[in-house]
Amino acid sequence: MAAVQPLDTTIGVVTPENIAFEYQLAGPFRRLPAYLVDLAVRWGAILLVGGVAVMFFGLMNLLSSFYGPLAQAVILIAIFLVNWFYGTILEAYFNGRTVGKWLCGIRVIEVDGRPVSPRSALLRNLLRVADMAPVAAIHTWNPDIPPLYVIPTGIIGLVSMTMTQRMQRLGDLAAGTMVVVDERKWQLPIAKVDDARVPALASYIPGDYLITRKMARTLATYVERRHFLTPQRRREVARNLSDPLIQRFDFRKDIDPDLLLYALYYKTFLSESHREPADLGPLAGYSPLAKDAGKPTGIDQSMIPGQPSSPAPLPLPTASDPG
Amino acid sequence: MNVAKLLDKRRVDWTELEKLCEAMELRGRTESVSAKHRGAAGVARFSSLYRAACADLALADAYQLPPNTVTYLHRLVARAHNQLYRTQPASPGGWVRLLLEEAPQRIFNDGCVRVATLVFFGLFALAMVLGASEERFPSFAENICGTKMLEATSASFEKPLSVSPDQYSARAAFYIRHNTGIGLQCFAYGILLIPCLFTLGYNATVLGATFGYMSRSGVEGGDHFFEFVTAHGPFELTAIALSAGAGLRLGVGLFHTRGLSRVESVREAGRQAVPIMAASAVMFILAALTEGFLSPSGAPYLVKVVWSIVSSGLITMYFVILGFPRRESTDTSLVRTARYADLVDSRDPHAGGRVDAT
Repeated sequence: MAAVQPLDTTIGVVTPENIAFEYQLAGPFRRLPAYLVDLAVRWGAILLVGGVAVMFFGLMNLLSSFYGPLAQAVILIAIFLVNWFYGTILEAYFNGRTVGKWLCGIRVIEVDGRPVSPRSALLRNLLRVADMAPVAAIHTWNPDIPPLYVIPTGIIGLVSMTMTQRMQRLGDLAAGTMVVVDERKWQLPIAKVDDARVPALASYIPGDYLITRKMARTLATYVERRHFLTPQRRREVARNLSDPLIQRFDFRKDIDPDLLLYALYYKTFLSESHREPADLGPLAGYSPLAKDAGKPTGIDQSMIPGQPSSPAPLPLPTASDPG
Repeated sequence: MNVAKLLDKRRVDWTELEKLCEAMELRGRTESVSAKHRGAAGVARFSSLYRAACADLALADAYQLPPNTVTYLHRLVARAHNQLYRTQPASPGGWVRLLLEEAPQRIFNDGCVRVATLVFFGLFALAMVLGASEERFPSFAENICGTKMLEATSASFEKPLSVSPDQYSARAAFYIRHNTGIGLQCFAYGILLIPCLFTLGYNATVLGATFGYMSRSGVEGGDHFFEFVTAHGPFELTAIALSAGAGLRLGVGLFHTRGLSRVESVREAGRQAVPIMAASAVMFILAALTEGFLSPSGAPYLVKVVWSIVSSGLITMYFVILGFPRRESTDTSLVRTARYADLVDSRDPHAGGRVDAT
């Protein structure tokens, strides 16, 4: 199982339904923004509690002087609780997410894929202090500042994350948790074929050609990514697959390799196998077969948009891509 | 098989499942999606949609779905899985059991707690003796704590203890935040071993030297100082040692793996350390409440001494009585209870194995 795993940051989880699905692990660059957001939220919460306490006990103070120190007590306890237990409480009650994790689309889960337990959440959040070590004291550079203010560098957590397979910091290691990407929206991607030549070419692919799973996967990957390539690169990439196919299908040698793969994709994923022939329009009568090379075709070069008019009898010149 | 048609057919279900997931993430229930998803019907619909998506993912290879559709399905199943198998909130009973059953058992058996306790109280006693002997080591306490701090401590205890009662809550809150924070920090640094030992040793030495200095005969405010520390001392000093012990357990787990893989060993150590740390945090809070409300009050010294003795007794009972290794009630025990019906049944020839077991 481990032998065929791709070199990637995905991790498989087997559910009780005996389905294995994959998570993408969240690295430091996704987790740092979440941490910073949480830091802001934490201090916001403390300020809010402090403000409410001061206002409430300020009003009560008119009745008795007892409430001044009480407000102080409330604020101190709030600072203590929020700073140490913010992450624990939110992760335990909101299914492994704090506000920052929610905004950044990440989630804490146990390494075996179960939701994080309150105990694990407690441990991993308490140990954050160790992961933030070593601290850089500001007064190293400016001796006037008292040595109270320190900046956590987080080097220990970073080193631990880079050295473990699941990108865990020390707190994650001790608690047996990991952080995974869990985004809210995912578009369902379907590649659309808007090239009129594709159905035409697809109808000539022999019906006895069986597409293997590996081939189907390769075709889908190719079609998803071909938009990011220039026509020259497309041809260069596609040629490796299309040359044997042209031989196999007995097609003409000058067929655009990119177009052939695209047509194969169309035939595999989009066309109905038993549907009547596609409406070919101006391409009717055209044949890519090698034995038909000398026959006159009904194709009109100018009908295909974006097509450079070439003098040679190339029915499907290679350089155009109207899509 | 036409994939586009299949996708169109299944997409309706997937979109519905996504909507349900979204509603569950935001509100924890499904009824906001539409009227027919209210209550039990919504939950049932969610689970059947989830199972359908699981089946689609399982068959993705057979359907020859394009890779990015498979990726989409992975996300969808993961998202629904997270909603179906949610975190169970901690029950109060669980925390009570953790504190009263698991923690004392661990503390009694944990070597790291013993080491931390020995280090802490050993250094504390040593520093106290060194700080107290004015003739042999006249400058020890000053060198450790600094003259300024010692004089400030001495000056603050010159007058009898009588903090006005309305300051108690603020003081207690300050001690909760400050001391428990130090304890938690000591615990967290335990996974790196050295910072934890340093914090432990530093606190032991400074506290010991201060105690020693204040016990010198010529120092002003010594009586009031000891009156102040008597009440909360047992809880606070034990809590420091415990938190360091829990931290050391983590650090030792990282380095001394006992045949487990390193990651597994740290996890195991983490599992063992949490109850100890929880007990320590409770003690820190009790100490802070004592330090805030009882220690600075003008209550008679006898009350403080009695509370000190009571708290020491409670701690001892907690460690020894609750913590004494208990044998699990397993089948190896010779004495066990059984109902009469079981015994009669076990004579049955078909259950011959059970006769031997009894």
